[in-house]
Amino acid sequence: MTSAQNRKIRESVEAYFYLLPAMTILTIFWFLPIIVSLAMSFGNITALKPLEEMRFVGLQQYRDALANPAFRQTLWNTINYVIYSVPPTLILALSAAMLLNSQIKGRGFFRTVYFLPYVTTWVAIAIVFKYLFHREYGLGNWLLGVLTVDILGSDHALRLDWLSEPRGIWEMAIIQPLFGDRVSPMWFGFENLLRGPSLSLFCIVITSVWRDIGYFMVIFLAGLQNIDRSLYEAASIDGANGWQKFRTITFPLLSPVTFFLLVISMIGAFKVFVPQFMMTPTGGPDNTTTPIVMYLYEQGFTGEWKLSFAASVAYILTLIILFLTLVQNQLFGKRVEYGQ
Amino acid sequence: MMLTLSTAAAGTGGGNLLLQAATAIFLLINIGALVVMILSATSIVQAPALKRSLHVQGRAAKHFLIYEVMIIGAIVMLMPFYWMLVTAFKDGQTSSASPPVWTPSRMKTLAPSPETGTMVPVVTLGTRTDTESLVRVVPEEAFTFQRVEEGGVSLTREVPDLERVFMADPSTFEIRSSIDVDLKNFRRAWYRPEASSRGQVSFLNYFMVSIVTSSLSTAGALLTSALAAFAFARLIFVGKTVLFYVILATMMVPGQVLLIPNFLILSKLGWLDTYLALVVPWLASVFTIFLMRQFFMTIPEDLWDAARIDGASRFRFLWQIVVPLSKPVFITAGIFDFLNNWNSLLWPLIVTSTPSMRTLMVGLQNLNDDAGTEFHILMAASCFAILPVVIVFFFLQRFFIEGIARTGLK
Repeated sequence: MTSAQNRKIRESVEAYFYLLPAMTILTIFWFLPIIVSLAMSFGNITALKPLEEMRFVGLQQYRDALANPAFRQTLWNTINYVIYSVPPTLILALSAAMLLNSQIKGRGFFRTVYFLPYVTTWVAIAIVFKYLFHREYGLGNWLLGVLTVDILGSDHALRLDWLSEPRGIWEMAIIQPLFGDRVSPMWFGFENLLRGPSLSLFCIVITSVWRDIGYFMVIFLAGLQNIDRSLYEAASIDGANGWQKFRTITFPLLSPVTFFLLVISMIGAFKVFVPQFMMTPTGGPDNTTTPIVMYLYEQGFTGEWKLSFAASVAYILTLIILFLTLVQNQLFGKRVEYGQ
Repeated sequence: MMLTLSTAAAGTGGGNLLLQAATAIFLLINIGALVVMILSATSIVQAPALKRSLHVQGRAAKHFLIYEVMIIGAIVMLMPFYWMLVTAFKDGQTSSASPPVWTPSRMKTLAPSPETGTMVPVVTLGTRTDTESLVRVVPEEAFTFQRVEEGGVSLTREVPDLERVFMADPSTFEIRSSIDVDLKNFRRAWYRPEASSRGQVSFLNYFMVSIVTSSLSTAGALLTSALAAFAFARLIFVGKTVLFYVILATMMVPGQVLLIPNFLILSKLGWLDTYLALVVPWLASVFTIFLMRQFFMTIPEDLWDAARIDGASRFRFLWQIVVPLSKPVFITAGIFDFLNNWNSLLWPLIVTSTPSMRTLMVGLQNLNDDAGTEFHILMAASCFAILPVVIVFFFLQRFFIEGIARTGLK
C-alpha cells in the first residue's frame, strides 16, 4: 500500500471519529425514525392494542385519512392558513424593508422593534392575542366599538366573536351583507373557497403575520442592501420613476431571496401547530382552525393513540412539503437565475 | 390607515372640538405631503424655480410619510407587549374593564382637579378593600399643605380611619381599582396556590427544567455539530457525498414525522418523563452542522498548513484556531438551538407527563387552560416567559439579525 493511500485511510478514520457523536444521535433519533415512521404508516399499530394484532395493511391508513372528513377539514384549514398568512407577511415585510432601506434615521430602532415579536415565544404571544381577541375583554371589540359607535349608536356597537366565529371572512364581509342567506344554492361548488377562512382562523393568521413580519423584513433588508446602488443611479439618469425602478431592478434582483422566503415560509406554515393549539385548544368553532399537526397530535397521542394513522398523516404532510418544493423549483427556478 | 385613525380619534372625542381640529390638521398635513410627493415625482410642474424647490420639499414629504408609516407600524408591533405588561399589573376587575384602562391608575399620578381643571397630583389615601382604593384628587396647594402638615414625603399615605373620613364626605373621593405595584399577579402566576393543591408545581420548577434542558442540548448540539461540520468541511473520507446528501434530505422532512418513532424509542429505553427524553434527541442538529460547515469552508487552507508546520494535530487546529475564528457562527447557531428548545411545545408535551418534568412552555399552556379569563394572571405569566428571551435578544441582537440575514441569503 502506498503512503498516499495510507494517509487517505487514516484521514477517513479520523473523519469518522469526528462524525461519530453527531451521527449516533442523528441515526437513532432522525434517520431511522424517518424509515420506521414510513413502515409504521403501512401497519395498524396503536399504543393500546397488543402486539400480536399488528399487521401490514398497505395504504389503508392513507386511504382512511384522505376519506376522513375531519382530516380533510384540517387539510383545508392548513391550506387556508398558508394562503392567507404567507403572501401578506411577505408583502408587508418587503414594504417595511424598502421603507427602512431609504436612508432614514433610526433604522436600527425600527428594525429592533419590528423584529421583537419574532424572538418572543409563540406560546406567550398566543395567550396575549387570545386576550386581545376576547369577546368581552379584548381590545379588538373595543376598537370596533370606537370605530362604529358614531355610525351605529352606542347601543348597537359592532361586536365580533373573533376566536369563536365559525363563519368565513368573505361570507361575513361580502356575501351575507349583499345577498343574505339566499345565495347558499349558488355556491357553484366553491362554497368553502368563497366563504374564506373562518374569522377564528383569520385571527390566528393576523397573529402569525404580526409575529413573522420582522423576520422576513430582516432578510429582505439584507437582500436589498446587496443590490448595487449604482443601478438605481443609472436608472434615475435614464428617467425611471420609483415603480419602474422597483419592477426592473429591485424585484428581479431580489427574486432569489423572495423565492427562498416563499419556500421556507410556506413549509413553516404547513407545519403550524402552536398558535392554533394555544388560541383554540378545541379546534375552533366547527373545527375550522385545527391544522394538520394538531390533528396528528390528537390522533396519535391522545384518545385511541392511533400511531400508524398519525404516521400516515405525518407522511401526507411530508409529501405536501416535498411537492411544494418541487413545484416552486419548477415554476420559479428559471426566473431566479435571472437575478444572478 | 389615516382615515381609520382619524375616525378612531373622532370616535373617542365625541364632541371634543380640539380633538376634531387635531384630526383635521393631521389629515391636511398628510394630504399635503402626498400631493407634494406626487408633484415632485411627476413632471406636471414645469417652471424651473418651482421645480427645484419641489424637489427638496418632495424629499422632505417622502421622509415624513415614511416616518409616519414606520411609527404607526412600530406602535402596532409594540402595542401587544405594552398591553401584556400593563395588564400584568392590574387586578381582575381592571383587566376586564370596558373601556380599557390604558395605564394602571397608581402609575398615573396626575389627574385633572375637580375645582380648577388643571393637572394635579393624585393622592391615594389607602386601600378600602382588596380590589378598590380610595383616591382623592387634591389641588396642588392642599397637597403641599398636607405634606408640610404631615411631614410625609411620599404621595401614598395610609389613613387609619379611612372608612370614617369617606363616610363623612364621599363626594370628594373617587373609588379606583387598586393596582398591584407589589407584583401580586406575578406571585400568583408563579406559585399558583390553587394549582399546587392538584399536585402541580410552581413556575420555578418549569423554569429550571427549561433552562437545564435547553442549555444542555444546545451545548451538546454545538459540540457534536462542530466536530461533524469540521469533518465535512476539511476532511476527505469515504461516503462523504452520500452522507452529506442524506443530511440535506433530512432537513426537508418535517420533524413531525419523527414524533411517533421517537416516542416509541424513548419508551422502550424507559426514558419517558426524564431529562434524557428532553435532551438526548436534541444533542445533534442537522441545521447547525450545515451552518457550521458553510462557515468552516470559508476559513483559508493556509491556516491549516501553517498549523501543521507548527506540529499541531487536526483536533488542536479545530479547537484552537477554527473554533475561536467561528465565534459568530457558534453564537448564531447557539441562539437558534436554544430558542428552538426553549420554545418547543409539542415535544415536551408528548414525552413528559408528570408536572415536575414539564417545561416552561407546557406550564404556560397548562395555565392557559386553567386560568380561563383571568387575563391579569395569564399576562403576568406571559411576561416572565418572554422576558428572559427578550433580555438575551437585546444583548445579542447583532448576532440574531446577522445570523438570520446570513442563513436567509445563504
